[in-house]
Amino acid sequence: MSATVSTRRQILDRIRAATQSVAKAPDELAGAYTALPRSYVRRGGLTQQARLALLIERLREYDAEVVECGPDQLPAVIAAQLDESRKRIFVAPPGLPSTWLAPGFHWKIDHDLPAAEIEKAEGVVTAASCAIADSGTIVLHHSAGEGRRVLTLLPDWHLCILYASQVVETLPEYFSRCRRPPTLATYISGPSATADIEMTRIKGVHGPRFLHVILVDDLGAPTILN
Amino acid sequence: MSNAAQHHPVPDPHRPVLDPRYAQPFPKAVLPVLRNPQLRKNVAHAIDVIQAKRARLVTEKADWQQLRSAGAAIRSHLLENLAAYLEEFEARCTEAGGMVHWAADADEARRVILDILREENASEVIKIKTMTSAEIQLNPFLEAAGVHAYETDLAEIILQLGEDEPSHIVVPALHVNRSQVREIFARRMGLKDLSDDPHALTAAARTYLRQKFLTIPTAISGANFLVAETGSVVVVESEGNGRMCLTLPRTMITLAGIEKVLPRLQDLEVMLQVLARSATGERMNPYTSLWTGVTPGDGPQRFHVVLLDNGRSQMLARETERQTLRCIRCAACMNSCPVYRQTGGHAYGSVYPGPIGAILTPQLMRMHHAQTLPFASTLCGACYEVCPVKINIPEVLLELRSQVVNQERRQGARFFDPMYLGLRIANLIFSRAWLFHTAQFCGRIGLRFFTRGDGWIHSLPSIGGKWTQTRDLRGLPPQPFHAWWAERNRTGRQEAK
Repeated sequence: MSATVSTRRQILDRIRAATQSVAKAPDELAGAYTALPRSYVRRGGLTQQARLALLIERLREYDAEVVECGPDQLPAVIAAQLDESRKRIFVAPPGLPSTWLAPGFHWKIDHDLPAAEIEKAEGVVTAASCAIADSGTIVLHHSAGEGRRVLTLLPDWHLCILYASQVVETLPEYFSRCRRPPTLATYISGPSATADIEMTRIKGVHGPRFLHVILVDDLGAPTILN
Repeated sequence: MSNAAQHHPVPDPHRPVLDPRYAQPFPKAVLPVLRNPQLRKNVAHAIDVIQAKRARLVTEKADWQQLRSAGAAIRSHLLENLAAYLEEFEARCTEAGGMVHWAADADEARRVILDILREENASEVIKIKTMTSAEIQLNPFLEAAGVHAYETDLAEIILQLGEDEPSHIVVPALHVNRSQVREIFARRMGLKDLSDDPHALTAAARTYLRQKFLTIPTAISGANFLVAETGSVVVVESEGNGRMCLTLPRTMITLAGIEKVLPRLQDLEVMLQVLARSATGERMNPYTSLWTGVTPGDGPQRFHVVLLDNGRSQMLARETERQTLRCIRCAACMNSCPVYRQTGGHAYGSVYPGPIGAILTPQLMRMHHAQTLPFASTLCGACYEVCPVKINIPEVLLELRSQVVNQERRQGARFFDPMYLGLRIANLIFSRAWLFHTAQFCGRIGLRFFTRGDGWIHSLPSIGGKWTQTRDLRGLPPQPFHAWWAERNRTGRQEAK
């Protein structure tokens, strides 16, 4: 360990020596950072309807399936999606509303399920933290409704329930919404894919091969982000 | 005593050498590639596809130039204040339950990683694609120490099973086509009936790795970004192999160059917008993962970060060279490079090929190796134009070229080298008008013998033949410019009268 400590000193000293003419004093660092130019688009200019349309278009472009519904229809639409998937065994995080766990399917609730158990599930249903229309991205912060990271990874089929109020247009809007920085985050843009063989895009390698999104029209309802 | 020399494997004549200390100089290393039409076809095809996708998505982004400017500014600010931000990262990561290690060079980094693996009693480890681990030649070192590393990125599996080396930093097996992949997988996975359909090949890789993900308890990753403000690590990927490696194991080791830090979480709003667009021509890559130290109940419960210097701190002193470290490894420069398009990556003799490799490799080697790389460029500037963090690669290339020349001059090397001899003679002639006129006169007479009726020189003898082998040279005009100018002035004045 002492070798590492002296290595640390040595590396930091070398960096300090090399940057001494340009490095800011500790009390000026924050000011210098704030002064960095940021003239890119921070806030999008689309209407709410156009923003949702853009998200749907971009999600579909990367092979995600999207259906829309109102808040009252949600349990029925979830059941229909599960039914259409022709799968029977699903996992769900502990924080999902009970109305989402459609009857007639085998549900495993993730109270620290071992990976091998999750692997046996054919699909997973979760909520989300946010979505970014511009890039067709779904954001998970792995709260009680979004599940541990492994939950949305092993099953081959992922159904994600997203509220219209959670949709922002640009990536900077998402970061300005994060009042507390997340300690865990996964940004999902379409199902798992690769283009490693001749740059041909192949859907589904190790992560879920199928990504389904239900976009719930809750305009005016409060956001559940953070 | 050098551990590096001890574990350096006996060079395999069929395997490209990506260690700058042992690689051939670039002009020699390109020769086998130029004679390999299949490889050149594979590289050109892959690059054309990425370039077209990138161009479409960059055009779509109206604020692309503003994003580039912000990206460059953030990365410059970070590098200028690197010590402070590294300490901040270390403090936040440690608070969150991570263990931070420092490694001055490749040798130290390998030993730190091996020590952790020994503590874990690991005989196998799963890996997320990391060029930094290739830079320190981690896999052969671990193998010699009795730990087998399984690469899990599809391209890396192709290379590992095919006993090949990466030729690109984002799509490392870009030089291999589907039928070559089929051959490798069929032979190494024992799948005789495998087809060469990319879907089937991808499915074979999924099956091959599934049990390994679920059972091997130790993983190694690189990092796309480290966030100083929060102590978080960010990994950007497509397949989900990354998520597997950083979620399922008990212990996770992240190896990252010291320059990978970003000041704040918010800086990702710039970096993530430019990275995938530049790298793969996607608005966003399928999976981006961020984690902070250890989270009880979710993911690895032991987490180590190894911060690697390995020549980087030496590059910070001057602005010209420092900008090299702004790089976020998107590979847009190599995709746009006319030289890379013809040669592929292996000729660069380093895990970092293309324009960024041509400036990064010699500097990481402290200008003791890879001196031919700064010359492996036409200086056309395409790399600078596409770079999302505005690294002026041609400027750095020129600076490194002058360093190489000065180094050789000091060592008195190549005094009789034809190029240096020629340049010294040219210097002599161009600095004296009478000599210049005399040389012009002699040249005009001499070249007349080689100029054909169409006014072109099609072949020259001896050393000049190297030029005319591949191109024609226009014959000298009957009158030099200064004679024409003098004459024009004379006749002009007469007309005015």
